[in-house]
Amino acid sequence: MNNGATNTNGNGYTLAVHVRGVTKTFGKGEAAVQALKGVDFDVRQGEMLMIVGPSGCGKTTLLSVIAGTLEFENGEIDVFNHSLHSLKPREVTAFRKRTVGFIFQQFNLIPTLTLVENVSVPLLINGVGWREAEERSAAILAKLGLAGRERNTPAQLSGGQQQRVAIARALVHEPRMVICDEPTSALDKDTGQQIMEQLRDIARHPERCVIVVTHDNRVFKFADRMTEMEDGRVQRVHENPERISEPLNH
Amino acid sequence: MFRLALKMLLGDRAKYAMLIGGLAFATLLMMQQSAVFLGLMSWTTSHLRNIRAPIWVGDAKVEQANEVKAMRDTEVNRVRSVPGVDWAVPLFFTILQSRLQDGNFKPVMIVGLDTATLVGRPALMLKGRLEDVRLPNAVIIDDLAVQRLSAGRKKPLEVGDVFEINDKEARIVGICKAERHFFGYPYIFTTFDQARLFSPKTRKMLSIVLASPIKGRSAVDVAKAIRAETGLAAYDENGFGWATIWWYVRNTGIPMSFGTTILLGFIVGIVICGQTFYLFVLDNLRHLGALKAMGASNFTIATMLLLQAMTVGVVGFGIGAGLTVLFGFGVLDKGMPPFMMPWQLPVGTFIVIMVICVFAAVLGILRIWKVEPAIVFRG
Repeated sequence: MNNGATNTNGNGYTLAVHVRGVTKTFGKGEAAVQALKGVDFDVRQGEMLMIVGPSGCGKTTLLSVIAGTLEFENGEIDVFNHSLHSLKPREVTAFRKRTVGFIFQQFNLIPTLTLVENVSVPLLINGVGWREAEERSAAILAKLGLAGRERNTPAQLSGGQQQRVAIARALVHEPRMVICDEPTSALDKDTGQQIMEQLRDIARHPERCVIVVTHDNRVFKFADRMTEMEDGRVQRVHENPERISEPLNH
Repeated sequence: MFRLALKMLLGDRAKYAMLIGGLAFATLLMMQQSAVFLGLMSWTTSHLRNIRAPIWVGDAKVEQANEVKAMRDTEVNRVRSVPGVDWAVPLFFTILQSRLQDGNFKPVMIVGLDTATLVGRPALMLKGRLEDVRLPNAVIIDDLAVQRLSAGRKKPLEVGDVFEINDKEARIVGICKAERHFFGYPYIFTTFDQARLFSPKTRKMLSIVLASPIKGRSAVDVAKAIRAETGLAAYDENGFGWATIWWYVRNTGIPMSFGTTILLGFIVGIVICGQTFYLFVLDNLRHLGALKAMGASNFTIATMLLLQAMTVGVVGFGIGAGLTVLFGFGVLDKGMPPFMMPWQLPVGTFIVIMVICVFAAVLGILRIWKVEPAIVFRG
């Protein structure tokens, strides 16, 4: 449900994501584990926000609830004016379809499909015709340096190239929020840097945000802000002044 | 999304081949065994097609077409006197031994036709003249008899040749085409009187009365009237056929034997298809979860899985049905084993295969339905 309002924080930034008091528990009874214990944080439009912290601190759970792939118990989440806490399951699916692009740790490219077919998936889910989907996918693959390889399968590519295909798939339907789960963990240092540069460029858009969950301290420098989590809560938020001063891409 | 689903299916060649193979085998097993069963059942009623008559009247205890309970000759007249009967003629049939030239004996089915009318005569004469069957010792043999009774001869039996039936000379005046009988014995057509001469003398020697209704009356009605008037068992041709088939279903182990094999085909199909398709879904669980995360609804994914299952079903059925038809062509020339494939058989098998595929798809759908899209974020 889009409430039509534009969220801003006290500093005048336009908010892309607004999270307040979110809790999430896995299991029941004595086996219950509370992964999120009242999380509050914001993501601004046009920024790349990194969520960092030790294993088991709730980073991926937080990413999942923001992306609408996991239900949460209490609290409020607004993503580009969609109030996830008040949406029905079918509306959440529609929200993900239109608003979210996903980049996964293991790429999750379908091995039996060609690159152009893999990239076309979000468009096809959104009801775009096969031919148009392939044209748009080929165009974005070319932008990401994979021109001429459209008919290859994922197995014919290196890890870095596969992650670029995953980026193409995440962006092809022009989502406003891109969710990245450990995007560089399966890549070597140089490839990881290249991928992060591309993600940073994607984030520098006034009506978009990129949220990255990562352990990889080699890529922290690419974040506009870093949210540090511990034991299911946000502990600190670090600003990167160098990055904040960069102009947005229109 | 459907094209995507098919590409995902065809891309996993090992599982695709396994699914197709399993379903083709299940189709072949179910369809081929059913066709042989139906062929066997059709053999039980071949009398009705080889000796054609609208109404068949037998002893009150006769339950099926291959059963002979001799009646008095006067029963023919009793049938003729029933209102609605146009004509009624006697028929004699029995199984006798014929002696071959090499000294062996072979059982044959003797059919004695009414001498005047030759009602019940063979439908198709291959050689000779039908009317010559009225000559002394004359017989018309079917093509199976040519094959069976020629043993020990330099050349196959021909019109004009003689052989022995129950130590009496029989002269071949014609060769006809007849459908093979359940007992597997060749047909020997002769006249009612001649047939009685071939057979050992007994007190009652009328096997069946063949009759026809007058114009405007149905065979079913007149058969009912004959039953009521004479107390004999009277059937219309179609009713007698079904009574015969049901008798064999009730009183022999044939349906159980074939039914078990057909059931095995169904189980093989459901196990191989269900298990392989479920494994296919499990192998693709992360990808299907990713599709869900990207906004594909459960309904869309269920439709994709159904399409994949139906596709392997159609291809597997096609291959299995093709192999069954090839088998059919192979055996129809030889006449063994029996084979009969009415259109209902492929249609029924196709429906069963589709049920198996839907079952397999539903197993996968139930699995993916419960998967949270967040699975894609787990390592």
